[in-house]
Amino acid sequence: MRELIAETYRYRELIWALTAKELKVRYKRSVLGFLWALLNPALMMVVLTLVFSTIMKFPIPHYSIFLLSVLLPWTFFSQSLSYAVDSIVGNGELIKKVAVPKLVFPIAALGSNIVNLLLSMIPLAILVPLMGHPFYKTWLYLPIPMVALIIFTAGMTFFFAAANVYYRDVAHIVQILLSAWFYFTPIIYALDFIPAQYQWIFKLNPMIYMVNGFRLAVYYGVLPKWPSIAMSFASAFGMLFIGFSVFRKFQDDFVFYV
Amino acid sequence: MSDRKPVSTSVAVKLENVTQRFRVIHERPDTLREIFARLFRSEAGFHDFDAVKNVSLEVPKGQMLGLVGRNGSGKSTLLKIIAGVYRPTIGTVSVQGSIAPLIELGAGFHIELTGRENIVLSGLLMGYSKREMLEREQSIIEFADIGDFIDAPVKQYSSGMHTRLAFAIATEVDPKVLIIDEILSVGDAGFQRKSFERIENFRRAGKTILFVSHSIAQVITHCDRAVLLEHGSVVADGSPTEVAEVYNGLLAMPTPVAQ
Repeated sequence: MRELIAETYRYRELIWALTAKELKVRYKRSVLGFLWALLNPALMMVVLTLVFSTIMKFPIPHYSIFLLSVLLPWTFFSQSLSYAVDSIVGNGELIKKVAVPKLVFPIAALGSNIVNLLLSMIPLAILVPLMGHPFYKTWLYLPIPMVALIIFTAGMTFFFAAANVYYRDVAHIVQILLSAWFYFTPIIYALDFIPAQYQWIFKLNPMIYMVNGFRLAVYYGVLPKWPSIAMSFASAFGMLFIGFSVFRKFQDDFVFYV
Repeated sequence: MSDRKPVSTSVAVKLENVTQRFRVIHERPDTLREIFARLFRSEAGFHDFDAVKNVSLEVPKGQMLGLVGRNGSGKSTLLKIIAGVYRPTIGTVSVQGSIAPLIELGAGFHIELTGRENIVLSGLLMGYSKREMLEREQSIIEFADIGDFIDAPVKQYSSGMHTRLAFAIATEVDPKVLIIDEILSVGDAGFQRKSFERIENFRRAGKTILFVSHSIAQVITHCDRAVLLEHGSVVADGSPTEVAEVYNGLLAMPTPVAQ
């Protein structure tokens, strides 16, 4: 773990350069450029709000805020994973030629998505007063679930980036996993909608604790209870430990398989 | 990156009993689907191949060493081990100081970025800081001599410009060990002259240079010492003229198949 922090710090400029390059390249060709970071979740929100608030009529006031508060961190999670799973293989040519600590690649993938997450908070912040929803002081709490989410995501990206080197269909499996996981997490719905006897299954999902903090802070204006916060950080660090241990074990070997 | 402890101050590069073994698996399953399919079939065969066999080598500081060998001799594998790209299967590598691997430096270029941006990126890849690269930016640009193209995306560069920029970066960052190959033949006479001048400056400054070449003539002209590799082992090590004789003898024999 110390190695992870030390190497990340030592190569922070490289990571930042790769992140910046990633962001530049991602938006260079598109007409709307940076706006895509904001537009993507905004479009999703419009569609989902239309369906679940207007057509299916969930009894949730200000549904779009209810939704967006969790959709944005979810988008960060799923995009990071999607980008990072291919980060080693995608940089294969470079790895085969220059000696560079392998962890910079998944971390850079994470980095560009962190920037996107932060940017996407802006339309949310605009939407809240626009819809007449109270702008709670608990927004200040947001850095905490963000950190937990980032740590959890980092762990997952290390694991899957390593796995994808050896088995190239892991990238596809991750997509399928993310689709299923999306529905398994209370993003579109509230956990209360699930019948009580089945709720325990859903509570096994670590993402609940990660995203819970966001919804509570933005939509409800309250802070999560201590057990919930503890669970989110425990899952986050647990995942990071597992993911990075696997990554570290195999990283010197990647060059022979990319 | 943990086997690379610094050695005594007079040795720049030290390899001890280095072996690089590749396991060539016949039809390794690279999707999970194939693994399931294989559960009902017998194990695929494999064989081990040693690209580098038990090589021990010490390069004193300030030496210009020529590394020669036929295709498939293990030269590039050995260089990758020295550069830290490969971790050897057996044995240890120690390098005193920073390395600039010219040959592959151009690989670090991101083609959508400009030459100027790639100067910083290449430096970061080699482990230097942004500030260090910006300090040297101007001299790199002057040496590379590619004019206004420095601010154009690298994908627009000719291969010559690519190489000149890579060489300028690799030599400007003041590495302790420089690895170069015969692509120095790229560029006009003026650039070639500048390049060799720079290499001579390096030598005078006590830096170590590993020169990989197929041209034994260039090695004789420029190097203090030559090492000949064949089938992953050192078969000759000494003055370039002596090694040249052994090399010429080898060339008369059929080429090994590059695996």
